[in-house]
Amino acid sequence: MKFEGEHLLPGQLGHFFAILAFVASIVATVAYYNAVKVKEAALQDSWKRLARWAFVIQSAAVIAVFSCLCYILNNHYFEYKYAWRNTSRDLPVQYLLSSLWSDQEGSFLLWSIWNSVLGIILIRTSKKLEAPVMTVFSLAQVIMASMLLGIFILGYKVGSNPFMLLREAAENQAAPIFRQPDYLQHIHDGNGLNVTLQNYWMVIHPPILFLGFASMIIPFAFAFAALWTRDYTSWVKPVLPWALFAVMLLGIGIMMGAAWAYESLNFGGYWGWDPVENASLVPWLTMVAGLHTLLAYKHSGHALKSTVFFFFISYILILYSSFLTKSGILGDTSVHSFTDMGMSGQLLISMLVFTVPSITLLILRRKEIPSINKEESTYSREFWLFVGSLILLIAGIQITFTTSIPVWNKLLGLSGLKSLFKLDDLAPPSDVIFHFNKIQIWIAIVLGVLTAVVQFLKYKDTPKGMLTRKIWLPTALALLFTGLIAWKGTITYLNYGAGFLTAIYLMLFASIYAIVGNVTYIFTGLKGKMKNAGASVAHIGFGMVLLGVLISSSKMEVISIDKMKMLNDGFFRKESKQNPRENIMLPKDVQVQMGDYHVTYVGDSIAPGDPKTYYVMRYEQKDKATGAVKERFTLYPDAFVNKKENSLSSNPSSRHYLTRDIFTYVSAAPNKAEEAKADTTQYVSHEIKQGDSVFFSKGFIVLKGLNAKPQSKNYMAQPGDLAVGAELEVYTQTDDHFKLQPIYFIRDSSYQYSVEDTLAPLNLNVRFSKIMPAENKIELKVKEAAGFSDYVVMKALVFPYINVLWLGVIVTVIGTGMSIVQRTRKK
Amino acid sequence: MKKTNIILLVVIAVAIGVIVTMVGDFSTYETFATAREKEGKEFHVIGKLDTLQAMHYDPVKDANLFSFYVLDKTGETRKVVFYGAKPTDFEKAESVVLTGKMEGNEFHCSKILMKCPSKYKDDQVVVSNKQM
Repeated sequence: MKFEGEHLLPGQLGHFFAILAFVASIVATVAYYNAVKVKEAALQDSWKRLARWAFVIQSAAVIAVFSCLCYILNNHYFEYKYAWRNTSRDLPVQYLLSSLWSDQEGSFLLWSIWNSVLGIILIRTSKKLEAPVMTVFSLAQVIMASMLLGIFILGYKVGSNPFMLLREAAENQAAPIFRQPDYLQHIHDGNGLNVTLQNYWMVIHPPILFLGFASMIIPFAFAFAALWTRDYTSWVKPVLPWALFAVMLLGIGIMMGAAWAYESLNFGGYWGWDPVENASLVPWLTMVAGLHTLLAYKHSGHALKSTVFFFFISYILILYSSFLTKSGILGDTSVHSFTDMGMSGQLLISMLVFTVPSITLLILRRKEIPSINKEESTYSREFWLFVGSLILLIAGIQITFTTSIPVWNKLLGLSGLKSLFKLDDLAPPSDVIFHFNKIQIWIAIVLGVLTAVVQFLKYKDTPKGMLTRKIWLPTALALLFTGLIAWKGTITYLNYGAGFLTAIYLMLFASIYAIVGNVTYIFTGLKGKMKNAGASVAHIGFGMVLLGVLISSSKMEVISIDKMKMLNDGFFRKESKQNPRENIMLPKDVQVQMGDYHVTYVGDSIAPGDPKTYYVMRYEQKDKATGAVKERFTLYPDAFVNKKENSLSSNPSSRHYLTRDIFTYVSAAPNKAEEAKADTTQYVSHEIKQGDSVFFSKGFIVLKGLNAKPQSKNYMAQPGDLAVGAELEVYTQTDDHFKLQPIYFIRDSSYQYSVEDTLAPLNLNVRFSKIMPAENKIELKVKEAAGFSDYVVMKALVFPYINVLWLGVIVTVIGTGMSIVQRTRKK
Repeated sequence: MKKTNIILLVVIAVAIGVIVTMVGDFSTYETFATAREKEGKEFHVIGKLDTLQAMHYDPVKDANLFSFYVLDKTGETRKVVFYGAKPTDFEKAESVVLTGKMEGNEFHCSKILMKCPSKYKDDQVVVSNKQM
């Protein structure tokens, strides 16, 4: 059948380039491998030349694939599944990039592009290590390219083609629409991008994170090259800036993800120990460990073996994280993992391809790796660097162990152990956050203290007395600051008992110690020479991150506590602990107190061209004594509202202060259209005289008198009208006092009309429906709507000193950057 | 014995200690029936929404109370009470993973993880509502 209106060329080109990238990277791998193996210089050169060309061609091909996909998305060619699944016509242009990497194929493509860029830089810079390093790189590119093939090899589907047509997709084979040649006429719009990804962080976070992932292969490749060529020394210098680079980029990538979670997800925070977050944190930890053992080796000759191990394991863990998130194995435990695309086998193979050779080589050549027989001194820097690295490894082991629960289940099932011992499937701990925090806090304490102290030790050996002489000042200062913060800040986080609170105070000290210790070191150790202070600056930043994490989470406060209902239910009942009542209902225009603030929900608004609904929340902070308003601001938490299903996907909005953030989001809002239809409350008639009252559920209405010249914005007087207004006063239980004036009028001497008056905060509608002159009475019709017709349910949190965390991240990045400059210049 | 070896041993001991304490934290997947036998302990229950019975969330009365019915793997239906706002798109959830415990005939949960088949897509999206 010939289909009409399809644009097949960009897809065919894209697929061709994907295959070209695959073939070219195989050529590059083989050629670089031969360049290492061949002994003669002339042959080596010719292999190298071929390999370089092949690598450049594969890089160009990868970029061409990316461009084709961009072109398809940008032109809304919905005949392609990728475009249809991830974009829609109304998607703002800046989110086109987010949709590009929102599916697995796109994320592999991104990774592959970075590998290419880094590979080309290494071809130019790594000199005699080029051939072995680039063999590893090219092999990685073979794997990456294979993920985008979408070709059946021996009955097994290899990769997933991003250029698959919608009508070719397996799930659409039976759909009758694709039997019509003009099916495209019926596909007007795409499925659209997942709303949580429509956030500016999602434009920038994935490229940085994947650059971090890609750069982790460099230390791996250098270490592998060293073992492979038995040249154990020449790789140390060039690898150091790259290891720093990898730590820096992966760190930024992870923290940008945290910022995204903070700004667009409603978890109430930046970190939730989600498996996906954990999986990328662990390789960062091991790479930091490897970086420190590398420094130890560089200055003392110790710990080369562990450096190689850490570099290997870091990249293996990156591949493992990619396996966890992309194989769908996390399905039941993670919030944002991909779903299984039938590529788990391939992902597993890609992990083994790097794990088996590297670990085997490390075991086989362990004896050859240079090491020093003499023990390191307890007063040497290298000894404590090594200890710190092991602590980082323990942190990584704990995180990995729990994150891998679904993997343990699979393994136990496959090995038959599960049926043998009649084991149940393991589930993640019910309080995941505390499960991690209670171990990691001790690790953070030890790391903080090591960060503060180890700088003051010298490599090889520190003269007796020197350490105490240098360290008493920062120690005393840190103790002083800790005391001050503990006294002024009063951390009373007793949710998990006194033991955990002790740990919190210890961590407070450790993080302050890390900051103070390194600031002091810049002046006393480095004599203020900022050129060499990269490490110290990075460590100050690390201390700030620890401090920011500690304070913002231990002093995080939910201010949207629904206190009213707490009393209703019995505050002291067993359930009240389970039910922290963190959501509060705000009727429109009614001021509610939350912590130090008085919050009013004023209404919602939508703007043309913006799919989101904005909820207008007015905050006021009043002076406690005088009641005068000290501060006023408005927050606009927003949500994507799906009218049909009345579901909403909301984004928080925060008021940022230097010392704290007020974080607000809407957790529920009524479906107004539905509610208007469902409102079946009847008007109740009352016949009353002047001075009589009518009671309603929240108070009563008094008829003060009649007004022969009524005025109302809903009533336009015309000549000849006979109009009477009923002057009503409304008194409520809460001593509020309102005026109402419904109007009754006769127009053209024959038509009776009634102009209703309403009292929105009380949902009260009053009609003046009849005058009975004979009895000197009037008839009022009163309606009380059942519920609040307009309200939002929201949650508001205060994160104190969260800026310390973000600032800490920035400082760490700057410090690492300084180190990179310093280490590359030393060449 | 070299100091490095001693430290390695200590580290291994600590790591084993950590892992052992961690395993104690691990939960298991239960059904309503087995969770009832161990009343008061927290478990994960995987189930489907029972669409025949109404879910109830009335923020005007109580913004922190959401109840619904879930069919577990064995087909048993239980009322589930969640102290919090109704998670977004809950109606669309195909399967849910509940964390909580049995109290009498009701299952009280503190966390809901749900899998929604998103519109047109044949794959599933995981959404959760975490309580802090």
